[in-house]
Amino acid sequence: MSQTSYSAVSGIQHEEALLFEHAHEAAKSISLPGVEGDISPELQAFSRQEAAQIPGLSEPETVRHFVRMSQWNHSIETGFYPLGSCTMKYNPRVNEQVVRLPGLADIHPDQPIDSVQGVLELLYELQTWLCELAGFSDITLQPAAGAQGEITGLMMIRACLDARGEQHRKKVLVPDSAHGTNPASAALCGMHCVALKSRPDGRIDLDELKKHLDGDVAALMMTNPNTAGAFESDIKEICQLVHDAGGLVYGDGANLNALVGVARPGDMGIDCLHINVHKTFSTPHGGGGPGAGPVVVNEILAPYLPVPRIVKEGDVYRIETHDEQSCGTVLGSLGQVGVLLRAHAYIAAFGRNHLHKIAQDAVLNANYVLHRLKGAYHVPFEGLCKHECLLTDEYQNKHGVKTLDIAKQLIDLGFHPMTIYFPLIVHGAMLIEPTETESKTTLDSFCDAMLDIAAQCEAGDTQVLHDAPVKPFRRRLDETQAARKPVLVWQK
Amino acid sequence: MRFLPHTNRDRISMLESMNMDSMSDLFTDIPREFHLEEGDLNLPDALSEAGIVRKFTQAAEKNSHMGHHHCFLGGGTYDHFVPAVVDYVISRGEFLTAYTPYQPEISQGTLQTLFEFQTMIARLTGMDVSNASMYEAATATAEAALMARRITRKSKVIMAASVNPRYRAVTQNYLSRLPGEYVEVNMDGFATNVDKLIAGIDETTACVIVQYPDFYGSVYDLAALRAACDTAKCLMVIAFSDPTAFALIQSPGECGADIAVGSGQSLGIPMGFGGPHLGLLTCKQKYVRQMPGRVCGMTTDADGKRGFVLTLATREQHIRREKATSNICSNQGLMCTAAATYMTLMGDESLKTVATRSAAALHRLVSQLPKHVQAAQGARFHETVLSFENQQKRDLFLLEARKQDIFAGIPLEQLDDTMDARHLLVATTEMIEDADIQKYLTALEVIA
Repeated sequence: MSQTSYSAVSGIQHEEALLFEHAHEAAKSISLPGVEGDISPELQAFSRQEAAQIPGLSEPETVRHFVRMSQWNHSIETGFYPLGSCTMKYNPRVNEQVVRLPGLADIHPDQPIDSVQGVLELLYELQTWLCELAGFSDITLQPAAGAQGEITGLMMIRACLDARGEQHRKKVLVPDSAHGTNPASAALCGMHCVALKSRPDGRIDLDELKKHLDGDVAALMMTNPNTAGAFESDIKEICQLVHDAGGLVYGDGANLNALVGVARPGDMGIDCLHINVHKTFSTPHGGGGPGAGPVVVNEILAPYLPVPRIVKEGDVYRIETHDEQSCGTVLGSLGQVGVLLRAHAYIAAFGRNHLHKIAQDAVLNANYVLHRLKGAYHVPFEGLCKHECLLTDEYQNKHGVKTLDIAKQLIDLGFHPMTIYFPLIVHGAMLIEPTETESKTTLDSFCDAMLDIAAQCEAGDTQVLHDAPVKPFRRRLDETQAARKPVLVWQK
Repeated sequence: MRFLPHTNRDRISMLESMNMDSMSDLFTDIPREFHLEEGDLNLPDALSEAGIVRKFTQAAEKNSHMGHHHCFLGGGTYDHFVPAVVDYVISRGEFLTAYTPYQPEISQGTLQTLFEFQTMIARLTGMDVSNASMYEAATATAEAALMARRITRKSKVIMAASVNPRYRAVTQNYLSRLPGEYVEVNMDGFATNVDKLIAGIDETTACVIVQYPDFYGSVYDLAALRAACDTAKCLMVIAFSDPTAFALIQSPGECGADIAVGSGQSLGIPMGFGGPHLGLLTCKQKYVRQMPGRVCGMTTDADGKRGFVLTLATREQHIRREKATSNICSNQGLMCTAAATYMTLMGDESLKTVATRSAAALHRLVSQLPKHVQAAQGARFHETVLSFENQQKRDLFLLEARKQDIFAGIPLEQLDDTMDARHLLVATTEMIEDADIQKYLTALEVIA
């Protein structure tokens, strides 16, 4: 038998065929409850003609199939994940335990309201906490993700401006450093974006802002700290200028981890803010989701919150489904409840006495990494950073090495790469966000790896960087081929 | 604090290395007036791990869960059996705590799982391709309407009023700030009248959206609508709320759908009071470049080995910004893993058993109903509408059923306020046993 017919790749890692390639007819091991009777004759007339061809494996084979595949993943539980703008922090196991309690997992959204008071109590309490820690007066838990929080916030801003008789205001100002979802969300809300050119230090340029503030402005969408990891110190003046021009300020809360417990966006003049609970409040990213993007609002926007809303009357919770002024319904349920409950547990674990330590340690770690790397890598914007630091590949370019090469070499050294080529306002961006749950030992090890890479460049020893990664299960993948002739489903 | 690894000595040494004296030196760029003092926030004191478990346990005990109750509730969320293996797989840290697979070399686990998920969803729905999921069914329906407008470059969206009211509400809301018409066509008899929809189609129509089986569980023939859409060069969009149905009845693909969207919650995901669930979006191959959301594709690596990547990124907002096909920039990744695990365990055969037993339970219930309760007519999958003489009798029955630990149905007016308050939306799954049906029928005797 040839070597290739064995599955072992290296040590304990294995190749694993696609489910559809498992050759044999597997024994079925699922036993199901239920009524073993006839279906109605009317329904029989609509029978499916050809089977769907879902192969089905026995239980032992299913477990091995997915466990083997899991071992091809980098994860926060197995390694450092310094992805800027993503806040990959440790996800407490107790949160996984409590959301699986049958009284929280095994309940239907349309049960009688008196039979779900416990879950409503937890959600309502989370609402009050998120308002308090972000400095706002009201909230919707409904948005399923940050991007949906954006559209929800803009819908409220639209409704508010319409109520003021200002239907013509459709211009949304967005700094050129913004997340790509900002303009996409504005377009979906029937508005159009105008990009604001950043100052040389990466921050919002007040003169540039003033130039665009006219009677058509609906809103400014801003991220603070911004996507370069810098705090917009002119925040109060920025908000004042927008308000004076008749617009509202939308806060992208992607970077709330830098502020939580230390300062509140609501105090700075922002009118509404989405909170990525999968970032700041540590709900697991799950390989792409589910997240949740609750939106907190001040008194100006509160009348326009989506329905349904959780309302407390005395000691009883109920769900309000109608409100004339509401911006409407954005999701088919109250929200990504299981995700929100994990966030509740995370905030409860810190409480009033420890919450600020999240931001403090997160900012300490980012500045420490910046401090250790700033000689070896180009730092486009000088000064303090907040929860993430921005570097570029300018020094390494001289040796023919790009950000992508550095990222791929980090993989061979056992780290997940940082966020690369974002924000777009600098060439060859490397955005590093260590979070507060990493030890000094891990940070030092990562910095050593980065310094080694920089030294390799200086020494002209760059081939290894271009070849990287060579250690993982797969080497660089051909993304061009994937996009040119997309193969999205398995066919023999 | 147990989630923070630094000792105070670590913090001091790190600050000293940067010539800083205290943590506040890290925040001098935030204007003084915005700094909170310790204890300023009106939050409770920190809870220990034991305290969190106790608090959540006590809250959970105030809810009535399906370990003690029999669930005849549907309306888009169904109480199907979830094998233990599903939760085990999605609890593994390598799946649970991974980020979006932007670095494919170290994310092949998530990516191959997504590829298998897409393939199985495409096969189950009978469609050519699936994306890597949407948030949930209501937003997926709205995205399907937007997608149809992009494909046809026409604007009118026709929606059957027999589509789940929540899917309609979100779609109407998403479309309301954009140019173009949105029309809901009223139905009658708790079913879908295809002729009424066809009558609404004109040359400006981008798509007709129906639910199949519809919100009331009705299963019906879509051939005439398909033909009318072909004539008018508009798309037929099928929404669905329980894809296990398609192991038993004609799939959206067999019905000729151009786009099929819906909920994948039934595929191994707990009801969880409404979320996180799983939105599905499938379509014909020729429309892939107008799909919203993430999608995984097959390719090869530098050594020529097969591998998987997120692909067709040029549709997405980080490249296209305001011209993107959608603002969605996440998927329900972990829920895809759950659904893929579930479908792998089940295979065709067990999926069909789930669907058959769900439908058989409804048939058994409906065929034994007393005269004073009317079930909606025509073919139903596992959901139907029961109509009572008046609200008083219905509510009396609901109370009696509660005493028997039965959630007997959703009062229809709670989901659709245009309805009289004398109907119940009733669903069954394989979790309903013969004995539960007998209890249900016994409870009905209270209003005889």
